[in-house]
Amino acid sequence: MCVLLSFAAMGVPARVRDPFARAIRQTVLAPLLTLQEQSELLSASVSRYQAVVAARDSAALAATFLPELRNENGRLRALLGLGARLGTGYVATEVLHQSVPTDPLTLVVAAGRRQGVRPLAGVISPEGLVGVVSAVDERTSVVVTWAHPEFRASAMAGDGSVYGIVAANGTDGPRSWMLELRGVPYRQLVPDGTAVVTSGLGGVFPRGIPLGSVVGMGREAEGWERTYLLRPAVAPAGVSHVMILISPRPGGSARGAFETPSSGNAP
Amino acid sequence: MRRSDRYRFVVILAALVVLQFSLRPRLGDDRMAPDFLLVALLIYTIRAQPGKSAAAGFVVGLLRDALTPASFGAGALAHTLVGYLSAWSKAVFFAENLFVNGCLFFAGTWVRNLVMAVASGKMRGGMLGWELLVWSPIQSLTTALVGVLVLWLFGRHLAIRMSDA
Repeated sequence: MCVLLSFAAMGVPARVRDPFARAIRQTVLAPLLTLQEQSELLSASVSRYQAVVAARDSAALAATFLPELRNENGRLRALLGLGARLGTGYVATEVLHQSVPTDPLTLVVAAGRRQGVRPLAGVISPEGLVGVVSAVDERTSVVVTWAHPEFRASAMAGDGSVYGIVAANGTDGPRSWMLELRGVPYRQLVPDGTAVVTSGLGGVFPRGIPLGSVVGMGREAEGWERTYLLRPAVAPAGVSHVMILISPRPGGSARGAFETPSSGNAP
Repeated sequence: MRRSDRYRFVVILAALVVLQFSLRPRLGDDRMAPDFLLVALLIYTIRAQPGKSAAAGFVVGLLRDALTPASFGAGALAHTLVGYLSAWSKAVFFAENLFVNGCLFFAGTWVRNLVMAVASGKMRGGMLGWELLVWSPIQSLTTALVGVLVLWLFGRHLAIRMSDA
């Protein structure tokens, strides 16, 4: 009976499955997830204290020059006749990892509707894009990472010379846990090492979030298009804290938030 | 089983559930950290009948599926099978021996990961190989160590009599 119910659970459509899973997370599992969140916070506060202090000092140093840069930016935008720069809000939160093999495909994070998270919000770490929010509960959310077979992101080379779609490379063969840049016109070559970032097209992710760097050509359709393999910027299994973008806007840019050693072609 | 033993049994299982959500996130890589929830399930199956063990496995699996929607249903199936097989094999083959129970924890964790990875349909080829040949054995080993430690410390409170190895 239980085996039959399990097969039935595997076959239920998402519109039935998601509310059911949400109800379990918000009732039976809610106190346990709160416990895990507190444990993650405690762990971070103890083990990452030095790193957090160093990051705070760096941020404080960078912030010293911020008012001047803002003034300069405002003056330049005024000269060009542009309006005020739009801001991108975010919610910093802990990742509540689970000890099952499929954990890196979807993650549960400790921020939900109460913190302003909405479905399709981009999820990033200091290294780059982690994924996108797929379901939002009151205090938790489910994130589909780039490793999920259904993940897609509109992408471009760091210098904007090449556009394509980034997706997981699949789980078969030795190149699993890699990304691929699809739909690159056959005439455009992308050198190894080229940084690939989100393009901002489609309005889901802001422009400029690092996705990975090109490590080689995957396959090519004769005379039509090429697919390139990317080394991901972020390993979902190793991420403990993420930021959820809560006010992404189409055509916006998040490029300045990341330190990309080479935003253009390979050295 | 005496009433006091039954009470301690429930407390120990509840403590393992709490450890799963409090201690395990602080034990490093999630692919290697011991699975306290599975230890609790397997300890339950050591004493329970196969049918009840399968039902307990189904409930545990369903709860986990709510946290990993990428494999919804696969966790329920994996834990149901592991619960049933553990209780059945324990009743038919295994002696009350600490080492044998350690092997049961190891095999239970590995089989759970195997069924879950295959049934989810999201892992194939190299990714599945890495999972089953590298990460799962490590997690099975750490889970088995925790299970043996729990039985060694609290075996008499769980009404599980251990013979010498």
